[in-house]
Amino acid sequence: MTTQRFIIAFHLLMVVVFGLLGWRLFYLQHCRADHYANEAYPALHAFTQEEPQRGRILDSGGVHGRVLAASNKIQTVYVDPGIMGHWDDVMQTAAALQEILGIDAMEFCDLVAQRRTHRFVKIKEGITEAEREAILAARLRPVGIQSEWRRYYPMGALTSHIVGFVGGSADIDEPDRVGLAGAEQQYEALLKGARGKYVFLVDKRRYPIGLDTQKSTPARDGSSIILTIDSTIQEFARSSLLKQIQAYQAESGVAIVMNPWNGAILALVSWPDFDPAAFSKTDADRLRNRAVADPFEPGSIFKPIVAAAALDRGLLQKTDRIFCENGYYEKYRIGEWAGHQFGYLTVKEILTESSNIGMAKIGQKMGQKALYDAVRLFGFGQPTGVDLPGEDAGILAPTRNWSSFTVTRIPYGHEISVTPMQIIRAFAILANGGSPVTPHIVRAVVDDAGNVTELSRKSNLAGRLIKQEVAEWIVREALTNVVKEGTGQEAALEKWQAWGKTGTANIATNGRYDTVNYTASFVGGAPADVPQVVTFVAIRKPNKALGKGYSGGRVAAPVFREIMEKTLTYLEKR
Amino acid sequence: MSRARLIFIIFFLTAVLIGTVHLRVSASRVFFRCRKAIVEQDNLRLQLGRKQLALEELLNPSIISEHIKKGADAPHEERPAGR
Repeated sequence: MTTQRFIIAFHLLMVVVFGLLGWRLFYLQHCRADHYANEAYPALHAFTQEEPQRGRILDSGGVHGRVLAASNKIQTVYVDPGIMGHWDDVMQTAAALQEILGIDAMEFCDLVAQRRTHRFVKIKEGITEAEREAILAARLRPVGIQSEWRRYYPMGALTSHIVGFVGGSADIDEPDRVGLAGAEQQYEALLKGARGKYVFLVDKRRYPIGLDTQKSTPARDGSSIILTIDSTIQEFARSSLLKQIQAYQAESGVAIVMNPWNGAILALVSWPDFDPAAFSKTDADRLRNRAVADPFEPGSIFKPIVAAAALDRGLLQKTDRIFCENGYYEKYRIGEWAGHQFGYLTVKEILTESSNIGMAKIGQKMGQKALYDAVRLFGFGQPTGVDLPGEDAGILAPTRNWSSFTVTRIPYGHEISVTPMQIIRAFAILANGGSPVTPHIVRAVVDDAGNVTELSRKSNLAGRLIKQEVAEWIVREALTNVVKEGTGQEAALEKWQAWGKTGTANIATNGRYDTVNYTASFVGGAPADVPQVVTFVAIRKPNKALGKGYSGGRVAAPVFREIMEKTLTYLEKR
Repeated sequence: MSRARLIFIIFFLTAVLIGTVHLRVSASRVFFRCRKAIVEQDNLRLQLGRKQLALEELLNPSIISEHIKKGADAPHEERPAGR
């Protein structure tokens, strides 16, 4: 009986105990579930952020073309002094690192002693694969290896102003590096990608044993861009320009090579240039892309544009003969370059001889409004829309601000400021028969899956700014004659018929033109029948004291010739 | 319930428990190896990228031009007389 009672009591006790345990279980698993799950979460999980790989910048060769900019990871060795308990640990680590990395053990000990409270002390950046493997094999507890992306520019200064550079980002939600110049800045949204986050389930040693796919988002690498720039043509342009700048001890120079049919820029050089990998140590003046950011008074290279506009509007006939005042237009105080004296000249002769007075009279024939409209129509006074940052609009004053002299000055490139990009675009319009083009440097985008999307940049060849026959006459007759018989004879090519216009523009200093500083320029193309490329060359402040000349025909035209000879030969053989 | 049946049930439950633990450990181990392989693959890809960049630097047209120029400027070595 007693035994039976005991058994019943025991069973009741067990029921109560298990009931209490059940209730406790219910309380912990249901009522306090969220609280304990949150408490346990950091202990059970590890988080890592993954920086995306920034997209590559490739030249016109496409996916298999030359790499102009690319990111790659470098490995950095660091130590955590916080987990080095005794000096024995420090000495042991120092000895191991001395053997693997070749760093001085005593220096390492000093470094650790100075930063005893730090949790991250950088030891060596950019270790080799062998060094990495040796460190991992040594299993040194306080030593870690950190990877970070670094941007490389294999072409160095060659494409510096086109590609630009990246620098530190101020936004913590954005990837570490952002584009600060050139295509890196312009195409930041495409190139940067998106940062990823991984949440791992970890064991007690914090080794990952599972991935929380719900809370993890993989990094999305940036898209790559394919430029219209051809590295080989870029090198032709840069080496030719640099040679002449050095020969004439000039201050700076710009060279642009463009496909006139679609506005694709094949080469763009702005000197001085810089090494994009060391931009922070570079003088700010070298970082300025003079091809788009530096407006200048164009001088005589502006003449064909005004002449074409006057012919197009019927305000001038090809056969008209204009009296050029025998060298000095007294009423408007205009003289000819190098003291030339001309009587009656046709438009073709005005361009061939580069007569300022002839152009001033064409401007007068046009009148203020027609001249302003024509210049504006060719895109002056407004950005061209080229896909490079920092483009200047140049200066074209509204007619209400014009003096009575302005209408005679603009036709020969004074009282107006233009950028090299605006000038080459205008000449591309003449070269292609009058169709507007948008200069551009990016041809296609490659997404992170490798799909190539060509960007549509076709010129609207049906819509023309000026009549086709006028544009063709200017190129095939007038500007071809400049190279055959006029001021641009140094631009003549052996195999192809070149055309173009020279410019020798005074540089205004303190509001006055002086007779020392000039911008020597040449812009033109070849072949004359169907121009394949147009090229602009400008060299600022060639040293006149050298006695070798300073005119566009002498200084810039030979650079044009060299670039064109090499480029056309290269394009023919490619 | 016979004793044999009880032993069988206990044995079966123990085997299931051990099997579950084993599968869990295996899954963790496989996952760890998989992550290690992914990291290693990334590392190899980066090594390839590094080599490609080094090659690109060597193929930089400016450097090629300089080499050609140096080659053209350097005095030509006299060739040994042919037999």
